[in-house]
Amino acid sequence: MKAKKIVALISCVVILAAGVVAVVYGYNYFRATNIEVTQNSDGTYKYSRIEPDSVVDIIVEKDVAEAKAVNNVAAIVFDFRGFDTLGESFILLTAIAGSFVILARNKKVKKEDKTDEV
Amino acid sequence: MKFKDGIKERNIIVKCGADMFLPFALLFGIYIILFGTVSPGGGFQGGVMVASAALLLYLGYGYKTTNKVINTEVLRINESSGAILYVLLGMAGIVLGANFAKNVFADLGNFGDLISAGTITFMGWTVGWKVLTGVSFLLLLLLGLLAPDLDEEDDEEEEVAE
Repeated sequence: MKAKKIVALISCVVILAAGVVAVVYGYNYFRATNIEVTQNSDGTYKYSRIEPDSVVDIIVEKDVAEAKAVNNVAAIVFDFRGFDTLGESFILLTAIAGSFVILARNKKVKKEDKTDEV
Repeated sequence: MKFKDGIKERNIIVKCGADMFLPFALLFGIYIILFGTVSPGGGFQGGVMVASAALLLYLGYGYKTTNKVINTEVLRINESSGAILYVLLGMAGIVLGANFAKNVFADLGNFGDLISAGTITFMGWTVGWKVLTGVSFLLLLLLGLLAPDLDEEDDEEEEVAE
């Protein structure tokens, strides 16, 4: 048991150190001072409700250039918003694990309860 | 419902309907999972459609047969392995020097092929496998509460639709 605790402590320290290093060195890298937000869309005037296909053109251009998927929804779900899908699938995983813990049939416990009641 | 030696038998129309619609549910769901990047659909939707096959089995044959046919332990293990495979495929983007879930194998085959989308296709398959096993496991878990005790009353079956 002590070896397991020591290994868990060491791994936690390593993960914490990696996170601190990533924050310190990545702060300047991800500051986004030199990035033009509108460079992909030729100005924000294209985001208008009057022309129905204005945003669709941008999405399809980015999709065909980078993701190369025919189905745009799949490209958005699994590529551009991959973290979102990860969270969704892990929500399902934790929900099923929790319901398994609560609802799983434990026959020994049931029999003990019945004998106690009698 | 027929009565035969005091045991309620299942209606033959429900049984035949389950027999008829089960292969279609399986085939259509698996098609939607596999062709998620080419046609409308995806992993979540196809996985839930395949999981409805477990429900059809329960409607036709009751909980005892379903519990015999489908091994829930295997489903539980495969769900976790699907989640791990999704994370590993997303980490391929980080290993090759890009963001999480970046499409790093984007140049496989011609544009419009099944595998031309690279990691999107494989991540869709892993999500489909995960949802398929997870939702069918959850359905069997919830239906197990409706069923009578398997040890004490082996002869009785659960009534579905009254």
